[in-house]
Amino acid sequence: MKSARIIEVCRMGVVNYMDALKLQERLIAARKSSKIPDTLLSLQHPPTYTLGKRRTDHNLLVPESDLGKMGAELYYTQRGGDITFHGPHQAILYPIISLRDIGLGARKYVEKLELTMIELASLYGVRACPGKSGETGVWVGDRKIGAIGVRISNGITSHGLAFNLNPDLNYFKHIVPCGIEDKEVTSLKREADMELPTEEVIEDQLISCFVTQFGYSSITWKDKKSLLCGDDGDTR
Amino acid sequence: MALRVWASSTANALRLSSKASLSPAFSLHRCFSSVLDGLKYAPSHEWVKHEGPVATVGITDHAQDHLGEVVFVDLPEPGGSVSKGGSFGAVESVKATSDINCPVSGEIVEVNTKLTETPGLVNSSPYEDGWMIKVKPSDPSELGSLMGPKEYTKFCEEEDAAH
Repeated sequence: MKSARIIEVCRMGVVNYMDALKLQERLIAARKSSKIPDTLLSLQHPPTYTLGKRRTDHNLLVPESDLGKMGAELYYTQRGGDITFHGPHQAILYPIISLRDIGLGARKYVEKLELTMIELASLYGVRACPGKSGETGVWVGDRKIGAIGVRISNGITSHGLAFNLNPDLNYFKHIVPCGIEDKEVTSLKREADMELPTEEVIEDQLISCFVTQFGYSSITWKDKKSLLCGDDGDTR
Repeated sequence: MALRVWASSTANALRLSSKASLSPAFSLHRCFSSVLDGLKYAPSHEWVKHEGPVATVGITDHAQDHLGEVVFVDLPEPGGSVSKGGSFGAVESVKATSDINCPVSGEIVEVNTKLTETPGLVNSSPYEDGWMIKVKPSDPSELGSLMGPKEYTKFCEEEDAAH
């Protein structure tokens, strides 16, 4: 019999990549010592390129010095996965959750992140599917609509998924996205035949898909200031 | 030892999963991951084999199965030290980087450099060719608090049943 599982969710708006990284580090430590329950951050980043632990910077096709002129930053991170781009109009979820508490390994966790995005896409009539072996992520045909890069430390997750609502896809031309050549990047805007609601609505739907996929029974909404302060947000 | 290696290689050659171990006393749990006698196990799914002055460390069959295909293994240089429960490296699979923790404290005396070229050894041979580091334990009594095969098998079953 499963006991009730709570997740705290914070809608953060646009957050600088380094600020989000520092916040995640604090949340990981707090989650590890059980000071907080499983936590989910929903946000967007300003234009940012990131590399994973393998530091595959050969997949950056322009000199690093050019990025500043484009208004973009570059970060080397500890997450899995290859190079990617984050920017406005791309919905990001960073779950800080204990995989041990729910008995999931890395593979199943990532599958559920893929299913979260596939489910969201289906709400708009877009048939997305997981990547083939070695191509983790979410695809519409040969076009990538969602990316995943995760870090697991002492069974606690950080980083997460990025789903393209309507980002400027030109930014992806300066990288070999996820190290996979000859495959396009796409967005919900491009793939959906119907008009889309506001991004806030879609981001909330993404949160809802995540909560359902991972079997949480209740959500506590936190605002930015009350994260890690022990204050209670609104409980639904 | 030689006999067990033989069985494992033959199993690989016949494309059977390397799950048939010659020490199968507690190896058949729900997902058929193998658990070997003679090793000690940490709750974070690393194993330790203590032979004389050296302890060899790797991740278990259960761990590699739950990770998926390992594409990258990040290991330290020999000469460094590790503490019990502390991270000494990471593996990458399915776009996830997972820390690996050392079950004992000590000095790292050897590192499995084959894993740089062939990270998949962690999947195909988690208890043998996929070994990760060798440590000179600073406090061998730490091994006493680790799980034996039977305990670890039960631990895995309970963890898998939790979701």
